[in-house]
Amino acid sequence: MTQPNHLIEAMQQGNEKAFSSIYQMYSGAIQGVIYTILKDTDLTQEVLQDVFVKVWNNSQSYTIGKGRFYTWLLNIARNAAIDKTRSKDYKNHSKNLSTENFVDILSGHDNLSRRMDALGIKKFVEALKPICVQIIDLLYFKGFTQSEAAKELNSPLGTIKTRARNCISELRSQVLENTV
Amino acid sequence: MTKEEIIASGLLELYVTGSLPQEDIALVEAAITSHPDLVSEIEQIEKALMELSEATGGQVSDTVWTEIQNRTEGVRTLSQTPPKRNWSSLSGWAAAILCFLGLFWMMKNNNDLKEQLRYSDAQNRSLKEQVDIQGVELAETTELLEMVRSRDFKAVTLPGNVAVSPESYVTVYYNETQDIAYIDAKGLPTPPEGKVYQVWSLKMEPLTPSSIGLLSDFEGTDSKFFKVENIPTPEAFGITLEPEGGSESPTLDQLYALGTVAP
Repeated sequence: MTQPNHLIEAMQQGNEKAFSSIYQMYSGAIQGVIYTILKDTDLTQEVLQDVFVKVWNNSQSYTIGKGRFYTWLLNIARNAAIDKTRSKDYKNHSKNLSTENFVDILSGHDNLSRRMDALGIKKFVEALKPICVQIIDLLYFKGFTQSEAAKELNSPLGTIKTRARNCISELRSQVLENTV
Repeated sequence: MTKEEIIASGLLELYVTGSLPQEDIALVEAAITSHPDLVSEIEQIEKALMELSEATGGQVSDTVWTEIQNRTEGVRTLSQTPPKRNWSSLSGWAAAILCFLGLFWMMKNNNDLKEQLRYSDAQNRSLKEQVDIQGVELAETTELLEMVRSRDFKAVTLPGNVAVSPESYVTVYYNETQDIAYIDAKGLPTPPEGKVYQVWSLKMEPLTPSSIGLLSDFEGTDSKFFKVENIPTPEAFGITLEPEGGSESPTLDQLYALGTVAP
């Protein structure tokens, strides 16, 4: 996605409309990441709020050109969600302790929005190779570093990168081909 | 690394997911600087991942944004927007200052008036005292006038002794029945320091002077009217200048005035 630098700058100067636009652009994707970690709708909404309040209050700590804005958001969201997994609220839900990944979650969704349906993501991920599911789950949803992922999957660093490249390329062609 | 090598390496994917160590991030950013078209490659990776997680999370509830707005409202906008001139507050302060100045001015005025009032009061009191004094004096004078005019009083004129004080004269108003007299000493000079006028009642054959009183505080008595009492029946009145306290017998070479009482 093209990074809306003018909106980011305006938000950094305290423009609430710019903040609102940024929320519209990113909240859906960020919510999905948080949900994949927590697997609880109420807690996800709570963390999503916390994340965007943090974004508004600490927007100055992002510097345009130093990493993607989305990557910055992603780090805040994954850290907030992982913090939440240590809370009492979270531990009281046994369902949260399940090992469902994004594929299981997507398969469980019966009522995807029409746009999401059109992308065919559900079918796509259901056909995704298990190694790709693991790679995307660890690097994207769980925020593992490349060396942590290498250790987890017992693979060399180079392999992790190559797999990430290949798996995400498939996702890209799926998404871009079907973008209306 | 060439552009193609960078794309094939998988570095860009890990750059977006935030999985690269610092030195690899620097490597990617250096590559972006020399090959700006790498940005579109990165944007496609980012878009694919965002679509994937957006599908995973489903619809975002409207209450989330409402809650975020509640929690961020006024938090930073207040400090970021240039401070607005708060006219109502400014005019409030201005009014308060004016009010204060007005109050100060009125207090000063009030003090000035109080001071004036105090001064006027003092003046009034002093004038009243003067009026009182003059009233008393007038009453006394009137009383005296009434008395000396009455038939009970006999006026005896004492001409000045040519040898001692030719300009002097004294009038004695004498009441035979009450044995009192008023001495009008207006015609006498002020006695020198340490001296006092002494009034004598005289019998002529043989010459017997009896002191009937001193004109004490001559200078301080404005009217120069003195009352003397218990007068032995006189044939004449004489006034001599004596040392302070008076004398047993008159000092005749200091006889200022002398006059006989008409039979």
